[in-house]
Amino acid sequence: MDKQEKYDDDLLKTFLNPDRIEKAPAGFTSKTITRIQIEKQSSGLTRSFFGNKNRIPLVSFAVFAALIIISVALPATDINPSDSVIWSYLRNPVISLPSINNDFFQNLSIPGWIPYSFIGFVMLMFFDRILFGIFHKHGK
Amino acid sequence: MDYRSDIFYIRQVKEGKINAFSHLVDRHKDKAYNLAFRICGNREEAEEIAQDAFIKAYRSLNVFKMKSSFATWLYRIVYNTAISLVRSRRNKILAIEEFPADAFDFLRYCSNQDEADEEYRSSLVNFAMQKISEDERGIITLYYYNDLDLEAISKITGISRSNIKVKLYRARRKMAEIIGKTENKIVTYHG
Repeated sequence: MDKQEKYDDDLLKTFLNPDRIEKAPAGFTSKTITRIQIEKQSSGLTRSFFGNKNRIPLVSFAVFAALIIISVALPATDINPSDSVIWSYLRNPVISLPSINNDFFQNLSIPGWIPYSFIGFVMLMFFDRILFGIFHKHGK
Repeated sequence: MDYRSDIFYIRQVKEGKINAFSHLVDRHKDKAYNLAFRICGNREEAEEIAQDAFIKAYRSLNVFKMKSSFATWLYRIVYNTAISLVRSRRNKILAIEEFPADAFDFLRYCSNQDEADEEYRSSLVNFAMQKISEDERGIITLYYYNDLDLEAISKITGISRSNIKVKLYRARRKMAEIIGKTENKIVTYHG
């Protein structure tokens, strides 16, 4: 510590009385504890509200999951699980997927460059999304 | 007088006893409030900052590893909250109260000379504090009012120890200069 620094330090020590700190206002502790209690109660409410609010997707998810498990667990025959009714249904695309009538597209005469520009447009869109994601993250 | 350690109350709070937290608030409220006040320069905002800091500390008490003291951890929350608040303000400069031209005014409001001197010095310090940057105000408060060493201040502020030393030196110098100039003005004014 050089001479000037020591002088500055001493000067501040003379002027700055650590006992004269700005004291927290009256009722500070009770106000803080009340805020904590309110927050604790409201966070409890939010948790129960979360369950209520998401009841429908939760039920639909549970039903969907149960159906998948049943389809795998209950085979049509006792030998192979993949022989279950649902699996055999899904394996047959003619039955499981709706038939698409593409006569319209086959009869359509469009210039040759349009499919390429469409693909290019889709690729640029994805590229743009990726760039937005990167720079948005950096911006934050 | 409560001689139980902070750790005792922290364990109680972790067991679900909210009221144990009131002992921690009571013990640290003045220094936390003073730190917030010195940085932001506004009593209402300081109260809000200090309360928010205690609430944040309560919420995160489960992740508090007790590697540092509760006070250090709390001051870090107060410091960061106060600094971000001041930096987010459009007008970062505090509403500077000009130092009263007449130092003898203090005698009118105080019952004796000692009290007047004390009041005068305190006002000079407050005046000088307004003229330094918010992080310097934080460092000066932690060093002089909270009586912390450079290592602890570095942990609280996230600034390296050597940088704290430099900032402390500059802030001290600036404040000493302001105090000196203001005193000279008063002496000149009164002959």
